[in-house]
Amino acid sequence: MNIILISVVIVNIILALLFSLGAAPILVWVERRVAGFIQDRLGPNRCNIAGFRLGGLIQSFADMLKLVFKEDFRAGNIKERFIFRIAPVIVFVSAFLSFMVMPFADDLVIGTQTFIMQGLPLDFGVLWFLALAGLSVYGIILGGWSSNNKYSLLGSVRAGAQVISYEVSMTLALVSLLITYGSIHLVDIVNFQSGLIFGFIPAWGIIMQPVAAIIFIITSFAEANRTPFDIAEGESEIVGGYHTEYSAMKFGLFFVGEYVAMSASSALMVTLFFGGYNIPWVGTDTLKEHFDIVMIAIIVLLPLLSYKFGGWILKNNVWPKADDKRNNESKWLIRILVMMNIFVVLLLGSFLFFGVSATTTNIAVAIMQVATFAIKLLLMNFVFVWVRWTLPRFRYDQLQDLGWKVLLPISIANIFVTAIAIVAFGA
Amino acid sequence: MGIKIVPRYGKSLKDRLYLPAIFGGMKTTISHFTKNLIDTSNIKTECYPEMQPNDITDRYRGVHRLTHREDDSVRCVACFMCATACPADCIFIEAVERTDGMAEKMPAKFSIDLLECVFCGGCVEACPCDAIRMDTGIFTFIAEKREDFVLNKEQLLNNTARKEEN
Ligand code: SF4
Ligand code: SF4
Repeated sequence: MNIILISVVIVNIILALLFSLGAAPILVWVERRVAGFIQDRLGPNRCNIAGFRLGGLIQSFADMLKLVFKEDFRAGNIKERFIFRIAPVIVFVSAFLSFMVMPFADDLVIGTQTFIMQGLPLDFGVLWFLALAGLSVYGIILGGWSSNNKYSLLGSVRAGAQVISYEVSMTLALVSLLITYGSIHLVDIVNFQSGLIFGFIPAWGIIMQPVAAIIFIITSFAEANRTPFDIAEGESEIVGGYHTEYSAMKFGLFFVGEYVAMSASSALMVTLFFGGYNIPWVGTDTLKEHFDIVMIAIIVLLPLLSYKFGGWILKNNVWPKADDKRNNESKWLIRILVMMNIFVVLLLGSFLFFGVSATTTNIAVAIMQVATFAIKLLLMNFVFVWVRWTLPRFRYDQLQDLGWKVLLPISIANIFVTAIAIVAFGA
Repeated sequence: MGIKIVPRYGKSLKDRLYLPAIFGGMKTTISHFTKNLIDTSNIKTECYPEMQPNDITDRYRGVHRLTHREDDSVRCVACFMCATACPADCIFIEAVERTDGMAEKMPAKFSIDLLECVFCGGCVEACPCDAIRMDTGIFTFIAEKREDFVLNKEQLLNNTARKEEN
């Protein structure tokens, strides 16, 4: 049975890597393309490998390559070399590790064994996230300070002050949530949300605890140093903030770390407020019981959606010059899409025909939950990007006002209200 | 004299909640996003260099050209007015005597350093006999060496006015 254990652990780690590290280039791409579309322009769409542009995704890889091969320059006035070097690593590693406790799927049962579907199988997920999210700001503070430069120092001071003021409200918002859920284990929290309120509304955190949800979303924007709270970078005021002096892959680590942190925040938001890996109205047990119906639904829906998507590709994925090799891409994409459809439909068809064992059902359900989680994660990340290209940056005093005078009192009041409600009506 | 009372915003509860305004803004941006995602041809971006700009006006100051007389000889009389007017000091002229009776002088050499030129159009304004113009519509000039950016008399004479494309 050990082979199964090891393979599940490896799959979990690969999934965690994919969702955090692998997501970074995709998120950079999403950010740039979405920014383009929001501002009525195209965004990066030119870079290609043998004509394949994948909608501009190749540009992200080109940028990463560029960062790797750039000169790693360090200004002569930087004395604290060790701290200067270690700062981006702290940011990156803590963002990366904080992702490791997000559950991608319900506990997987293979034979007699049960596996927690997380990168690290820990059952104190929320606390782990808070600890590491608090740690990542050390990287920013140390990096800004060791740069020995007033703009960098200003950036890191801002980051420190901001995280102190927002982490308080974030944790307090979490406390009221934890009172509601009665557990700090993320899998328990997600399973709590698989129920229904009044029989038709999914019992998601955002419906149970709307105030805590809003506070948590606002503060995690601040935690991830994203607009409208990116005053630590504030390129219009303090050059580049804490990463002014950084170049090449040291800057790259800050850059990727920011996206991984954003992805981790989104994952936590999805887990806490949007039902995690739950498909709305369909719990894990329902999925397992009616697996035939689910397969038939997929066999019908997948080709329909693919047909729509293929039409969209043919309409929009064109290059203005007729004889350019970029114009061959759509043809190949359509072929790949058709092949994938045939494969999935045949596979599910054979399952339907021959029947499935309990283990296969469990694995298939886990795969569907991972896919659900991935989709929700992408949507949440999209919200991060969407907000960034909508809202302007806060002024420093407004930021502190909002943190201390608005969010903190509301989150404390929310704890009281929640506690009273729990005591009065029972858990 | 009328007094205009400017309404002050930001004091009502709705304004102070921030969230309605934020959601309003997000609605605007998402509508742009979905419109452009569904049909990218809504976007006006031109994929240069595959698509060339088509909105260059007649008055656009492109790379210079030297104009010709009716018999195709050079119109310039080497009066140095343009070189004097040029704020960037990038016009270099060497004059010789003109023997065919059209004028007294003509340029033996006439070169413009495009790396120095600020495309102000001062030379065109200064010329007393319409010998230099900037109506070629050439908005990009590429070369590999610095020396290649200095256009000589023959190159300037060979530049032609931009054709109206319709
Ligand atoms: S355009 Fe202006 S800068 Fe250029 S050559 Fe003419 S006068 Fe000189
Ligand atoms: S181009 Fe015009 S201003 Fe310049 S030297 Fe010739 S005639 Fe004179």
